[in-house]
Amino acid sequence: MDINTGLGLVALMGAAATIAGAAEDLESDIGSQSNPNSQVQLAPQVGVLHRIFNKAISGEPPAYAFYSSIAATVAWILMSLNFNIFAAFAIGAFVASIFHGIYASTAHIGRIASARRYGQPIYLDVMLNHLPGIMSHGFVATFCVLVLSYVLHAYFEHPFPFVMLAFIWGITVGAIGSSTGDVHYGSEREFQNQPFGCGLNAAFSGKIVTKAEVGTRSNIDNAWFCAKFGGPATGITFGLIVFLDNWRSLLFTPEMSIVVGAVMIILLVVANRVLELWARKNYGPYPEKLALLEG
Amino acid sequence: MDPITAIVLLIIAGILIVIAVHHIPVGGAPAAMAMATGVGTGTVQLATGAGLTGLVSAGYMYHFAGVDPYIVLLSGGIGSTLMIGITMLIGNVIYIFGVGVPPVSAKVKFDPITKDRQDIYVSPGTEGHGIPTVSFVSGIIGGFIGGVGGSLTYVVLNEVGINPAISAFIAIGFFIANAVIAAYNIAGTIEGFHDPKFKRLPKAILSSLIVSGFIAAVVIGGVFL
Repeated sequence: MDINTGLGLVALMGAAATIAGAAEDLESDIGSQSNPNSQVQLAPQVGVLHRIFNKAISGEPPAYAFYSSIAATVAWILMSLNFNIFAAFAIGAFVASIFHGIYASTAHIGRIASARRYGQPIYLDVMLNHLPGIMSHGFVATFCVLVLSYVLHAYFEHPFPFVMLAFIWGITVGAIGSSTGDVHYGSEREFQNQPFGCGLNAAFSGKIVTKAEVGTRSNIDNAWFCAKFGGPATGITFGLIVFLDNWRSLLFTPEMSIVVGAVMIILLVVANRVLELWARKNYGPYPEKLALLEG
Repeated sequence: MDPITAIVLLIIAGILIVIAVHHIPVGGAPAAMAMATGVGTGTVQLATGAGLTGLVSAGYMYHFAGVDPYIVLLSGGIGSTLMIGITMLIGNVIYIFGVGVPPVSAKVKFDPITKDRQDIYVSPGTEGHGIPTVSFVSGIIGGFIGGVGGSLTYVVLNEVGINPAISAFIAIGFFIANAVIAAYNIAGTIEGFHDPKFKRLPKAILSSLIVSGFIAAVVIGGVFL
């Protein structure tokens, strides 16, 4: 493969990963999966009844490894029957989204039903309104994971089977979504009634916002909010990882690719330090705490 | 590769993985609400995500580049480190610009690397937030060691004659088993090597020695017998 084609394919993988990351994070926001879910589950126990979708099927990495593996298996069977690649990916991702929908429904009803003793009702319209959003974002994420896994498998002739690559990238995209974009939902959107930057006192646990810009808040509102920052940030994270890791392997000799990777890591440490200094300078210490500590 | 060397190398790989997981700063659900320092996810999830990204790099290098095994291990380490480094950096971008809190540790008064004061930046009622420099550097070290450990598992399994797909499958399971040991040891959250919980590392190494030794004996025994 010539270098230009290789770079084009790496860019395609990076783009697919960016879309997959953003869709994965927004799907987890619509369904309140992963860590912010703890607050949704806790809310009725502190007297906050809500219309928030509440599913915690599992951690995001195993969940997305599962969906991606199902989609890749179906797609692989169809490709072996001479289906068009993109039709096979679409059908595979569709089958995975059906599984996703089933798990989301049972997880939501099960978790909400467990809060019955605190007076939390099960709203069927909440479930019916959110499921299409969950399944469609899951479809987009899974489809893009299949694209980048297939490029790695078919064009770069990676030794791992296609389904295993989809499994691995499913775990990775879930880990990234859970680590980055979910913080925007859990720390900011769920507690938007607190002043920005106040830091979230543990005493506020469970006291999530239930009123929307208009009417009662649902997770469709939350996805709208997180789509402005948390979702794209997750996409950029996954896209950068896939692009930079494959770019260095493609463009340089094995020894040089390690050196280039090490330089990138040093730049990441420096960038983090610059960010930290910016935040410390602009946000400053807590005046009361400073006064208390220094007598 | 002879079976005894393979078993010893797999045990070393397992120990590298538990050491790595102890370095990776994770705050679990509280960190996702900016109530604790570290990345806002689970220990096993983040470590496995990083380890497997390194495994993809290592697998490619091992089969196509025709390089020495140490280059394969380093490449796996760099792949994992890139994953964890970019994730921590963008995580901090969200803490700083999306939540409005500076990265700060609640376990030390001064950052051991930058010597910056920490306690006066910790929001009241929290155990810190974000990923300060000491945790970031710890995560980078953990990512690298974990990537090397995961890649070593994969290389050893290939060297004893197991095919790449099955090797990767076993390597993933082996990585998760060791990551879970570490996660139990730190009770799900740790800020990095400066956290007092890091002192529990010897217990995890002992557990990993037993678990990795058992898995290695079963796998390698199955191949050679």
